[in-house]
Amino acid sequence: MFILDSLLIGSLRFVLDKVVAAAEAEMQDDSALRDQLLEAQMRLELGEISDEEFAEIERDVLAAIREIKGRRQGPISMSPDDKITGVEIESFEESEK
Amino acid sequence: MKLFPSTSNFKLLTSNFVFFAGKGGVGKTTTASVFAWIRARAGERVLLVSTDPAHSLGDALGLELAASPRRTRRSLEAVELDAPRAFARWLTEYRRPLGEILEHGTWLDREDVDALLELSMPGVDELMGIIEIDRLAGRSLHDVVVVDTAPTGHMLRLLSAPETVGVVADVLGALQHEHRVIREQLARVGRPEAADRLIATLAGQAREIATRLRDPRRTGFVWVTLPEALSLNETVDGIAALARAGIAVREIVVNRVLPRGARCRVCDRRRMDERIAIAEITRRFAHGRTVRLVPAAVREPRGLRALASLGLSRAQGAERRARSAQKRSAAAVYSSALSSQPSSLHDEPFAGASLLFFGGKGGVGKTTVAAAVAARLARADSSRRVLLLSTDPAHSLGDVFGAEVGDTPRTIRGAPANLLVRELDAAAAFADRRAQFEGAIKEIAAAVGVEGASDTLGASGLMDLAPPGIDELFGILSVVDARAAYDVMVIDTAPTGHALRLLETPAAAREWTQVLLRMLLKYRTLVRPGQLATELVAVSKSIRGLIELLRDASATRFIVVTRAAELPRLETARLLIRLRRLQLSVPAIVVNARTLGPGRCPRCRVVAATERRELELLRRASGRRCAIIQTPLSAPPPRGAKALEGWSKTWV
Repeated sequence: MFILDSLLIGSLRFVLDKVVAAAEAEMQDDSALRDQLLEAQMRLELGEISDEEFAEIERDVLAAIREIKGRRQGPISMSPDDKITGVEIESFEESEK
Repeated sequence: MKLFPSTSNFKLLTSNFVFFAGKGGVGKTTTASVFAWIRARAGERVLLVSTDPAHSLGDALGLELAASPRRTRRSLEAVELDAPRAFARWLTEYRRPLGEILEHGTWLDREDVDALLELSMPGVDELMGIIEIDRLAGRSLHDVVVVDTAPTGHMLRLLSAPETVGVVADVLGALQHEHRVIREQLARVGRPEAADRLIATLAGQAREIATRLRDPRRTGFVWVTLPEALSLNETVDGIAALARAGIAVREIVVNRVLPRGARCRVCDRRRMDERIAIAEITRRFAHGRTVRLVPAAVREPRGLRALASLGLSRAQGAERRARSAQKRSAAAVYSSALSSQPSSLHDEPFAGASLLFFGGKGGVGKTTVAAAVAARLARADSSRRVLLLSTDPAHSLGDVFGAEVGDTPRTIRGAPANLLVRELDAAAAFADRRAQFEGAIKEIAAAVGVEGASDTLGASGLMDLAPPGIDELFGILSVVDARAAYDVMVIDTAPTGHALRLLETPAAAREWTQVLLRMLLKYRTLVRPGQLATELVAVSKSIRGLIELLRDASATRFIVVTRAAELPRLETARLLIRLRRLQLSVPAIVVNARTLGPGRCPRCRVVAATERRELELLRRASGRRCAIIQTPLSAPPPRGAKALEGWSKTWV
């Protein structure tokens, strides 16, 4: 049972590590875009750009972010704000007790 | 009766600094003026300073005063501090060394530093107040400096100002440190620069003033109160807060005590209530302190001559007399037949508003009126959520409702369930957001290239202080936060001067966010804008929304509360001008505690005649578009939700 558990957890961990790595890669990919969006928001608040100009930048940035996500085509879509902090596993016998 | 009958029993005569403190409207200015005049008459050179941003010293003396000392009579000089101007002058004097510290210690350039130094400083009245008092006293032109302070809450902030000045000195010192090391090691110049001298001056001032305030031989505190419950409660809280700050109050003046007079149902009732209050004051505070009673003048004393004829007598026997007044009868509202008018008439100035400010001179009854209106609005429509928020650091909402009110909004027994009441605790709110502020300071420090200085600020204890300006900042932030949760917000503000500061805060906060955003953008290639930038954008947006809301007359209104008396009327006239400048809508003035059904004694007749004349002058000053609502005098003032609602139905 112990071996099975550790195998199960081991392979699960492998998959999850992949997911985390993928999420991190994605985050790095669009971080520049997010900075760009934040910068545009700052400029809008400072009155350096107009609402229309901001809307245009926002549209472009969001489209670019979608494109990155689309390229991945992965079934798991994660936002950079999501973090994997741990996994809970319950075996069948334990839950029967 | 003579003022301060014998000098030997007036302990304060030996102090060089004498502060007059107390709730708004208790007569601090008058008492301070009388005291200053007595000392001047005895041949001393006296400087009388008002630190309340809404000055009434000139009104009380019947003189035009300015921001630099003016000679009045004999050796008495008087001054009304203008903190923003004093700050501008201080900046002019120290701009070069200050600019050097910022340029040497950070990677900010001249343009950034100029933008920073242009910003309006929160808590300017308290910070500059303490520095100006020190500067004026430092010229050694006076034997005594008498300080007429702002009402309790902000007086306490004034006294914590030296610690804040100390923090500023520490931070500047940390910024200058590296430059000093380089200068000493490389250039081998050990000579202090102007910048070093500025830091030393500030640190020295902070230390010296803090010590002096706590030295009873040099500084005396006189607490002024009225013989009534609300003032008494504030006296208990205020003296305790001063004691916690290491400051002892040794003199208490109970002002405007009704003297004996002809039998009269109004005055007799008041005398009885006053005796109970005086007995309580004597019981709680007489031990180790002098308690003085000042009789009420029939007319408000104005001008030095009138002030000098005021009498003070010691509170001997007050307790004995008070004990005989054991029984209390039910509250009486002295209103005239006019109150048969439909009271819904008075809902118009309040109807449809989402933000209602109540403000005015201290002691006019802002809290009582705001509480009554809030209860009434909540009762009128149970589907509306109404928040009654006090932003005065010396709160009285709890006292008015006879309930424990705190920072968490709560309902009040007997009041509509859709009315929530909160007394803002700015110091607690500051502590709650401590992590957020520390994070922001770290990011700002990183963005300007001084990671080390943020540690100095962290270790300086600023976060443990309640620095000046905190009440206005959190007052505005609470309004922003609460907007989504309530349909109507009724704000009970601090007395005039700080109510205006509160209303100026959104514009000032917007300037600050703009300057910081600009800097983060400018140095974004060096430090990536992060959490702080996101938060600043959000804050900037909501402040912009609030500024729009404040200018929208259909949503935001300012109700001025006043009394039919000369000093409140003069202050009201100035307040109306300032509110107009801030583009705020003032649809109504509430003239509180009118003697609408006067008794038949000579005093009542004089009071009623004076009130009528003052009301007429007020009508002329306020303009036609501003409704005048009169509330009848209630003895004692209405306490508890039921009494407030009942009282509000008698307004005319």
